[in-house]
Amino acid sequence: MSDATAAPPPARGEALLATVTPRQLAWRRFKRHRLALVSAVVLGVLYLLALFCELVAPYSPQTRNVAAINAPPMGIRFFHTDGFHLRPFVYGYDMRVNPDTWMREYTPNVGKRYPLRFFASGDEHTLWNLLPSTRHLFVAEGGYIHLFGTDQLGRDVFSRILYGARVSLSIGVAGVVLTFVLGILFGGVAGYLGGITDRAVQWFIAVLLALPTLPLWMALSAALPVSWSPLAVYFGVTVILSLLGWPYLARQVRGRFLALRQEDFVIAGRLLGAGRMRVILRHMLPNFMSHTITAATLAVPFMILGETALSFLGIGLRPPVVSWGVLMQQAQNWQVIVMTPWLLLPGLFVIIAVTAFNLLGDGLRDAADPYNTGGLE
Amino acid sequence: MNEGAPAGAELLEVRGLSKFFGDVAAVERVSLDLARAETLGVVGESGSGKTTLARCILRAIDPDAGSVRFNSANGWTSLHSLKEKELVPLRREMQMIFQDPFSSLNPRMTVQQILEEPLLIHGERKRGKRVAAVREMLSRVQLGADALTRYPHAFSGGQRQRIGIARALMLRPSLVVCDESVSALDVSVQAQIINLLEDLQAELGLTYLFVAHDLAVVRHICDRVLVMHRGRVVETGTVEDVFERPRQDYTRLLLSAIPSPDPDVPLKPLDRATLNL
Ligand SMILES: Nc1ncnc2c1ncn2[C@@H]1O[C@H](COP(=O)(O)OP(=O)(O)OP(=O)(O)O)[C@@H](O)[C@H]1O
Ligand SMILES: [Mg+2]
Repeated sequence: MSDATAAPPPARGEALLATVTPRQLAWRRFKRHRLALVSAVVLGVLYLLALFCELVAPYSPQTRNVAAINAPPMGIRFFHTDGFHLRPFVYGYDMRVNPDTWMREYTPNVGKRYPLRFFASGDEHTLWNLLPSTRHLFVAEGGYIHLFGTDQLGRDVFSRILYGARVSLSIGVAGVVLTFVLGILFGGVAGYLGGITDRAVQWFIAVLLALPTLPLWMALSAALPVSWSPLAVYFGVTVILSLLGWPYLARQVRGRFLALRQEDFVIAGRLLGAGRMRVILRHMLPNFMSHTITAATLAVPFMILGETALSFLGIGLRPPVVSWGVLMQQAQNWQVIVMTPWLLLPGLFVIIAVTAFNLLGDGLRDAADPYNTGGLE
Repeated sequence: MNEGAPAGAELLEVRGLSKFFGDVAAVERVSLDLARAETLGVVGESGSGKTTLARCILRAIDPDAGSVRFNSANGWTSLHSLKEKELVPLRREMQMIFQDPFSSLNPRMTVQQILEEPLLIHGERKRGKRVAAVREMLSRVQLGADALTRYPHAFSGGQRQRIGIARALMLRPSLVVCDESVSALDVSVQAQIINLLEDLQAELGLTYLFVAHDLAVVRHICDRVLVMHRGRVVETGTVEDVFERPRQDYTRLLLSAIPSPDPDVPLKPLDRATLNL
């Protein structure tokens, strides 16, 4: 036993592992989640569209096209009667009122060919309320283009979905940021101080979680004064969503905090003589943020769904504000759903965004586990 | 460190130490003495309070009753009555080596950062000195300097345990508490780590409080043993006394649980046959 052995043989895959940082390792683990990766891209595109909705949308959300009321989606085409065209185009509609049902019926007219012009002039808009412009990503020259059809006032559904994305997607993030602040504050304080404070916060959280969420949301939203400006209502709804969402996050934060405090490396830090600040900043926070970001990602869908639900019921955001929930108000009766099913498209976007956030959260959760070497070991 | 201290001088004195979790007494009225350069084994079944005892002594958790006195460079100090802040200078003198080589290292710090942290905490401002000390310690635990820039995930269990040992020794403590420090490792790696611990003890004059449930290891490395059962000390004495002439039924039961070695299988490098088991 007395002869000291040489250094042990290297671990398998060490050559590869040796050179990467924890962040790179997390990225490796994340990349293995194809769905999470795709979701990240989808969300990136959605948020870009929302950010530049004035440019991307061919119309302003209130522009009415009386020539196309309740018109179905128009397809982008490349083949005309005379063959292939490099410049895409759409066919304008011929409308006739069905004498039996009194419904408008639209048929594409090959004679009304509207070629698409990119970065051309269209409706006036003010990007981010700062830069007035008339440029749009695409406009239909000499006619109109409604990729997702129009509603009963002749407004372009595609444009309205983009403007709605800005409100719905940003409310999700704003709500989560606020939830985050409250959750980390309460959860962290409870987890760190322990004792009476912990029990008081725990009790408070238990009570909040026991309240039925939907009726409470409704009651609080209904209490928002009708006279408030759209912006005030927007913030009001955000606050309401966060007020009821933070207990979940606070619970997770607290649990994570308690668990981390028991981790050997945190105890090791304390035993080395590290002060509170060093233990928290150097050992706990870096190992804590990844989990919290995951929790936050998984919380965004609740916010988006909350806004949609409230607005759909008419007690959240109200017209003329455009959000996905507001848009879906139009699809509240079966007649609309049968005759103009494209008015349900905002719902599809809600589903896409919510699913993408959930999948992204799953990927992040796995990537956040520092002991998982991503199949490299 | 303990240069000049007379060999055999007392280093640690624990009296009537108790720790309760709710109604459960994890540790109950435990007393023990530890002399310099000695190795005291703490054995007992799972849940007998070994970890709790070790952590109470180092004030990783606060004991509910009893006293812990430590013979530091400035004479005897009562650890149990000190505030966390007042304890900091004494942290240089007593350190811990953990069981789990995975969770005991901060996954977001490089080996360099992990090993220089103790020096930073205790006020070593000169980067050059820290780097030199880290390199020296790294070679003591038989790791190459190429380890410095790597993160813990890049090492095997045995290598991580070496890093954990290096971190514990950076401040040149006199007392080192090893809580099951080899039980999570493969048998061959266990032997390497035990050899390393023994070498380091000889080189640096370390005193070990060695918590383990592997009695063969305890018998090999320890001078004296303390047997715990349900938070209490049931028997204590030299390794020979306890292993050859156990006085308590519980100790006999514990000893009977040691697997007898198969003569056809040479157990290397921790050769249990030579340990008369
Ligand atoms: N933080 C805690 N909260 C409540 N009970 C605890 C806590 N830590 C330990 N205990 C209890 O105290 C008793 C002693 O536990 P301890 O971990 O000290 O035992 P041990 O001898 O180290 O066991 P093992 O060999 O499994 O490590 C057990 O009954 C355990 O359940
Ligand atoms: Mg234990």
